Amino acid sequence: MKKAILATAALMLAGSAFGQTFVYPDAWSSSKPSEVKEGGVYRTSTISDYKTLNPFTAAESGNIPQVITDAGGMFAYDPSTGEYIPYMASSYTVSKDKLVWTMNLRKGMKWSDGKPIIADDFITAFKINTDEDVGANAYDGFFINDKPIKIKKIDADTIQAILPSVVADAIEVLAYSPAPTHVFGPVYAAKGAAGIKAMWTLNTPAEQIVSDGAFKFKSYKPGERAEFVANQYFGEWNKNSAGKSLPYLDGRTIAIVKDVTASLASYLNGDTDAFSPANADQLRQVKGAIDGGKLKAVLRANVGPAASSQWIVFNWNQKSNPSKQAMFRDDNFRRAMSHLTNRAAMVDLVYGGLAQPAYSSVYAAFTQWVSPDLKKFDYNVEAATALLAKAGFTKKNSDGYLVNKAGKVAEFDLTTNSGNNQREQLAKIFADEAKKAGVKVNFKPVDFNTLVTLLLSDGDDRKFDAILLGLSGGGRIYPLGDNVEPCGTNLHSFNKSGKCLAAWETQVTALFARGKQELDFKKRVAIAQQIQNVQSNYQAWDYLVSPNVHFSWTSNIKGEYPTALQTSINGPRNLETTWLQ
Amino acid sequence: MLPYILRRFVNLIPVFIGATLLTFLIIQAAPGDFLDAKRLDPRTTPATIARIERQFGLDKPVFVQYGLWLKNFVTGNLGISFESNVPVWDLIGPKVFNSMILVFGSTFLLYFIAIPIGIYGAVRQYSLGDKTISLVSYFFLGFPSFFFALILIFGIIQLNWALNTKVFPVGGMTSEYYDTLSPIGKVLNVLWHTLAPMIALLLRSIASESRGFRAQMLEFLNQDFVRTARAKGLSERVVIYKHALRNAITPFVANIGGLLPAIFSGAGFVEVVFNWPGLTPVFLEALFSQDIYVNVSIGAITLVLLVIGNLMADFLLGAVDPRIRYY
Repeated sequence: MKKAILATAALMLAGSAFGQTFVYPDAWSSSKPSEVKEGGVYRTSTISDYKTLNPFTAAESGNIPQVITDAGGMFAYDPSTGEYIPYMASSYTVSKDKLVWTMNLRKGMKWSDGKPIIADDFITAFKINTDEDVGANAYDGFFINDKPIKIKKIDADTIQAILPSVVADAIEVLAYSPAPTHVFGPVYAAKGAAGIKAMWTLNTPAEQIVSDGAFKFKSYKPGERAEFVANQYFGEWNKNSAGKSLPYLDGRTIAIVKDVTASLASYLNGDTDAFSPANADQLRQVKGAIDGGKLKAVLRANVGPAASSQWIVFNWNQKSNPSKQAMFRDDNFRRAMSHLTNRAAMVDLVYGGLAQPAYSSVYAAFTQWVSPDLKKFDYNVEAATALLAKAGFTKKNSDGYLVNKAGKVAEFDLTTNSGNNQREQLAKIFADEAKKAGVKVNFKPVDFNTLVTLLLSDGDDRKFDAILLGLSGGGRIYPLGDNVEPCGTNLHSFNKSGKCLAAWETQVTALFARGKQELDFKKRVAIAQQIQNVQSNYQAWDYLVSPNVHFSWTSNIKGEYPTALQTSINGPRNLETTWLQ
Repeated sequence: MLPYILRRFVNLIPVFIGATLLTFLIIQAAPGDFLDAKRLDPRTTPATIARIERQFGLDKPVFVQYGLWLKNFVTGNLGISFESNVPVWDLIGPKVFNSMILVFGSTFLLYFIAIPIGIYGAVRQYSLGDKTISLVSYFFLGFPSFFFALILIFGIIQLNWALNTKVFPVGGMTSEYYDTLSPIGKVLNVLWHTLAPMIALLLRSIASESRGFRAQMLEFLNQDFVRTARAKGLSERVVIYKHALRNAITPFVANIGGLLPAIFSGAGFVEVVFNWPGLTPVFLEALFSQDIYVNVSIGAITLVLLVIGNLMADFLLGAVDPRIRYY
């Protein structure tokens, strides 16, 4: 926290000293501004192939338009605080009713072709992104509860956004990147959406691709690699605290590999400079190479939990099977299931010890957001047996399984996607432990798409008992799922009747809406923690484990985040301030 | 001859429609669609899903979708890839060429090496050389090529570490410094990268093809007309190459029909393991994500090539074997 305050202070000071330049806080790098060297190429690899250079149609994660606008848009994410700070905006104001945001643009910003970045560029990006015929990925963001955000130019340096209603994560939308009007504007005016979609394909010459980020596009070989070179104009308005222009690197290369084994092989062979081991086996390989002196590299194992979750959800909507429906709606039954979840065994057996138990709907990676007061029903067969007795399962039948007064056996099917080894193992561990308390769990893996169809089915009578699955993705400003927490949403997967069935669901839905409108970071966190506390008490989802992430990079790559800032959300480094020794 | 060719092409039409419709229906019958991954995203709204469905025509009945695809295919438009939002040909075109380098090269080398080995095995049956080749062949036949590829990569890394230099690359098709090379340097650089995947592809197929060819040769070498030829006093070279080989090669020529689509459709898992920018990874990715038009279009092109390839093979057979005629 102290660092964060220092960083903000440095930012303000630097802001006044250098006029309109954006000064990268020293807190974002473990290197001192005085020790950095310039030059060199940073080489990494990616699994998914690039499909287009068009910022409006690119859909794959980590696409080229994202790579070249990596630094940020109107706002940028501050890894040291978890908040957004003005980036292309030099400052901004929010009206009293929190609906009107006025952003003043930084002066002196330039595109990679030397043309100035102007207010019209933000308007062009907004117009094209919200054209339904373009089908841009960012389209949704510009709507709040189906009502559009309005963005207009006030004068050459001022942009105004008018929100239809108050939402905290509006800043994530308003952090959008501009589009060069001098490139897209004429085409959009003449040929509309079709013209825009046909632009900036993989065959477009590199000179025509304009960037606002630290790097500009140089070349791409399908299925092989993409190359980027430093954008010289970026350094005119992006500097370090010693006044040195960014980025330090001459360029970067991203090799395209088809699977993680190939990615590991190229790292071990010295063809790339960074690699994130995905499991215990890869971690061992990298460590072995480093220990054996074959690879001069830094290995940061168990940096923290990944921004993803694995859970078991029980189906509350089983009209045709009232006894099962009642069983799954019984709070004590679900608490007992959480007690039967042997998270320690899952961590050891499935992830080789490289994971952490999970208890919350907020990914454990969001350390500031996870509630410290979560109700944890840790592995305890006796406690589970007692809770099952409260749920009516008091006697055992001749097979050793629990039955209730109506003679119904405590039994359900547990489904996950077949072929996912980790999930299958998690499900088997759960089934084995449940048996110890006399609960019969039939493990039934199905195809992934079938599973999704089951999970997302609506109504009073859905055709599954329990599903083991995971989620990833989501926002950083309010890291709860818009589509998950409130009743009636698409991934509110235990109850998809369309309305709240339990009083606490109504409470969570109301809290969620309140948190979403809370612009104050601390208050928003407090509401999110309250939601988690309620959810953990009622065990809507039985959370299992979060695997840990690991980073590795060759020893000559410097300028990574200080250790405290290296998380699965921030990643290991900021590319603008990365340098080669 | 011409009526025969025409007849073959007319036959192609129902086969083409039947096969592509079946592919289309099977893909559609699989549970879910390419939007399932998006549906699981905590932030994707149902409205977005509906918008994308409209955008790609997924809200229309299957037969209408098929009709649209067929109409576009005939006019040379392979449709749009949902996943990448670009025309299918833009996605697969460059990859097809890359795959061809590997498949064409390895197929050529395969026959260039396997046929002499097969002849040698047949002519010197049960010699020490034949026995050694048999033993090694059976060893390689037992290995799936992708597994062999992984072992090769492991070996290459160990070798590069031991010699502290890059003897072989561990994957890819070109080096980072490729663009700075001369034209000849570029060709050599690609060839250098093909070495390891070629070895992985070849060892197994040489083993199986040379075994097959050896058996074929033996069958003919033991026949009466070969004995007659030898009795007439023809040299052993003429007996083997003109009499036995010409007959033994017929089934291999017939197989050439399958080579044309094979050259188009990629080298298989070796491409994935060696990180070769070929068609197989694209095809697999499209299968997993249910990117319909990529799958159906690759299938359809392969089908057309198979028909053309078979036609070519038939004519080649006629050239090799004068007894075969077409009406």
